[in-house]
Amino acid sequence: MSEIILDVRNLTHHFGIGKKLSVKALDNVSFAVKKGEIFGLVGESGSGKSTVARCVMNILKPTSGEIFCEGINVLNPKEFKKNKKQLEASRQLIFQDSASSLNGRMTVREIVSEPMKIHKVKPPRGTFDAEAEFQLFYVGLDKSLLDKYPTELSGGMRQRVAIARALTMEPRLLVADEPISSLDVSVQAQIINLFAHLRCEHNCSILFIAHDLSVVRYLCDRVGVMCKGKLVELAPVEKLFASPRHPYTKALLSSIPIPDPRLERERVMEKFDYDPKLLSGKLREVSEEHFVLWGDEE
Amino acid sequence: MSDILKIENLSVNFRSEDGESEVVRGVSFSLKSGETLAIVGESGSGKSVLAKSIMKLLPHNAYIKEGEILLNDIDITSYTERDMQKLRGSVLSMIFQDPMTSLNPTISIGKQIAEAVRLHSPKMKRADVKSRVIELMELVGIENAEERYNLYPHNFSGGMRQRSALAIAIAQNPAILFADEPTTSLDVTTQLQILDLLRDIQKKLGMAVVFITHDLGVVARIADRVAVMYSGKIVEIGTAEEIFYDPKHPYTWGLMKSLPSFAEKGKELYTISGFPPSPGDLPKGDAFAPRNEYALRIDYEEMPPMFKVSDTHYAATWLLDSRAPKVLPPVRRDMNV
Amino acid sequence: MIRENPFVYYGKKLFVFLLSLFILSLAVFFISRLAPGDPLVSYYGDRVEKMSVEEREWAENKLGLNESLPVQYGRWAKNALCGDFGISYKYKMEASEVIGERIGNTLVLGGIGFLLTFVLALGLGILCAYYEDKWLDKLLCRVGTITSCIPEFWLSLVLILIFSVNLNLLPGSGAYSIGNKDDFGDRMLHLVLPLAVVVINHLWYYAYMVRNKLLEEVRAEYVLLGKAKGLSKRKIIFRHCLRNIMPSYLSLMAISVPHIMGGTYIIETVFSYPGIGKLATESARYKDYNLLMLICLISGAVVILCNIIAQIINERIDPRMRESRHIEEGEVAENGK
Repeated sequence: MSEIILDVRNLTHHFGIGKKLSVKALDNVSFAVKKGEIFGLVGESGSGKSTVARCVMNILKPTSGEIFCEGINVLNPKEFKKNKKQLEASRQLIFQDSASSLNGRMTVREIVSEPMKIHKVKPPRGTFDAEAEFQLFYVGLDKSLLDKYPTELSGGMRQRVAIARALTMEPRLLVADEPISSLDVSVQAQIINLFAHLRCEHNCSILFIAHDLSVVRYLCDRVGVMCKGKLVELAPVEKLFASPRHPYTKALLSSIPIPDPRLERERVMEKFDYDPKLLSGKLREVSEEHFVLWGDEE
Repeated sequence: MSDILKIENLSVNFRSEDGESEVVRGVSFSLKSGETLAIVGESGSGKSVLAKSIMKLLPHNAYIKEGEILLNDIDITSYTERDMQKLRGSVLSMIFQDPMTSLNPTISIGKQIAEAVRLHSPKMKRADVKSRVIELMELVGIENAEERYNLYPHNFSGGMRQRSALAIAIAQNPAILFADEPTTSLDVTTQLQILDLLRDIQKKLGMAVVFITHDLGVVARIADRVAVMYSGKIVEIGTAEEIFYDPKHPYTWGLMKSLPSFAEKGKELYTISGFPPSPGDLPKGDAFAPRNEYALRIDYEEMPPMFKVSDTHYAATWLLDSRAPKVLPPVRRDMNV
Repeated sequence: MIRENPFVYYGKKLFVFLLSLFILSLAVFFISRLAPGDPLVSYYGDRVEKMSVEEREWAENKLGLNESLPVQYGRWAKNALCGDFGISYKYKMEASEVIGERIGNTLVLGGIGFLLTFVLALGLGILCAYYEDKWLDKLLCRVGTITSCIPEFWLSLVLILIFSVNLNLLPGSGAYSIGNKDDFGDRMLHLVLPLAVVVINHLWYYAYMVRNKLLEEVRAEYVLLGKAKGLSKRKIIFRHCLRNIMPSYLSLMAISVPHIMGGTYIIETVFSYPGIGKLATESARYKDYNLLMLICLISGAVVILCNIIAQIINERIDPRMRESRHIEEGEVAENGK
């Protein structure tokens, strides 16, 4: 369990806005995802968590930093080119909005078998059709959907198709960018189970980006909390929820609604006023595997 | 407290090329002034259409098939567009899910609020309108309102935009506010602020809120009463305590059980099997029966009526019939938490 | 918000205008000379065929055609800056003089036609959108589609036949009656039929665009919020939707200026209307370089100018266009805090 599949080191990215201004979307972010682990990345919109996903998938070129995916430095153009085929097969991305990430003019069959065709992989189950059928079965969809178009499916079904598509290449690393936040509660539960199952059966590592903390608590092994482009706290999930150390994490945890009226009505949210002092410094280990962003002067 | 809104057996149909689909089916409920009713349901359950049909903001291809909408004991079901215009904003008001798209991007926030202020009192002086707008902006927690008057929606964050939409909605002190998933697209921290703001304003203005959401955590924070919708019908309605601590309908049980916050880590999360039926093709009997692990034979034959549990608590499941086998609710929690 | 110094702002626009003209002149100059054909034909007519080699050389030397292209362009540019655009080979007079007589006519026909199309299309589009799917909208859509399919020359001939030959109400050719060159009313009468053809031909294309853009806009969520605050449909369309479609409509119209103004060639021919449409095709055909350059520059200037004006108006309407500070992908949109 200790083999590292994804290693992100000192990732920094600046978005230029206008001529002189630039915003630090990512500021010195470092973390590692171990093999077979579900690593959660949480934060509000604008915290830079999606930017991390895009950098990891080589969609966006960060200003500086290094990303190692199974030991390959994906930000090094030479090394990336040499291992492009392997990388594309071993990493897969799942988006939040499956409605717009699936081509509306392709049938489910075409969508699911496309990655194999692109990479000229021989389908392990004989034909492309058999393979597509198997993948659909695997994510809990009926094979009668094979000839349907994404628009004919419900949100939950579409998200499953997107997952089936990602799974055809048998990836070792799945990057899921808010994969369930647009789904209904009962469908959410089905997809969450699917992710848990993937990790158990396939030893697939997942970088799980979310803003729903109750899902993260249930699903993830370790969690990184991001705020304004900084990683402010990094800890195993139980430790983070039991004893959050950074004020931002505390505020974030205190804002999860609890589905229990008596507790919920009384609850008061902790405030975090984005004090720049609290968002500077270095990650320090406060207890085993529990890192917190700590100001320099303390 | 008296009922300011009473819905009786309301049905809304959509016309399409494939025929009619029943999106809201025989819904009845009432709303007391000053209270918050949360309508919970998944997408496609008809909760949003229900609110829009009361506001008469339905799209072209939808129509009210039957039923009555009584506002302060006056039947407004057959009101024309012109009659409704007088009610909207002043008696009934609404905010929507996406504050990004529900404000006009080319008009400044201040002007958009001012439009709502001036609408029902056109003779108001310009300076009075502006001071009222600023008062409203401060009421919904927009700081430095004077400076922000001339800013445009894209200058604002999501939370600020939702605050602005709220300012527009409450400009005329409406008696009822429909809030259609107003916090769904916001961050958790912002969500909480908006919920608390809504509660404060509700207390100050004494308005009733119909809060539409799929998030049971949000419901727990804001609702006095809860209605659970499935496939266009209210399957269970009661006070928040009754719904959360003593739910009676198998669908409500399913919703509660599938929440990750109740699940034990490492164990598989409970799921309601299958998918909701499409409103154009509803099964005979109870629409939830095919997904219901407690379904009785009669569920596939006949739609269950609303069974009374208490004066405030009703549920539409045959399990409450005296002849049904006794089932121990899987999520019943101690009432003395 | 950034407010630029107006001098800098308009200076920038002027610079863009001049630069575009310069690039256009380069392109037209070199491309026209690359095309096959003999410019001497337009100057000397059929005599060219009988010319000896020496005579040809002398003629080319006289017209300055024997030098290298960059040198030729340099000389043309130098003269053009001083207001001398060279002579027309065909008409053997100053190119500016040849055009001067006719450009006014074309500008009047094209300009009025353009404005009429612009205003009528907007009105018609709004009408259709307001009565969406009612009989008026359906009727207008059908009639519009048919009229926009009628070929210009046929429509022109039919109109001449009806109004000029049979009814004898309107003149069917020329820009003015002989001897009435300065009679305003007479000129206007001569414009009626050509204008009718210009407008009928282009109207529906743009009206349909306005209709569809408006319908798209009416489906936006801010319209629902507008209705929810009590605005009437008319107010929403005029105050909100129309404003939001104007930027794309104006840009479209700016691009179509040459389409409408320059597309009058057939009409000018059928109505024997002395404009530059015919001149332009002839100058290109006969390699009347100087005339071609001038015509291209003038029409180019009109197009670029219209685009710049449209851009300036759009920036006034839509605040998002004038702010270069807009932020990408919402990643950092936290100005509301």
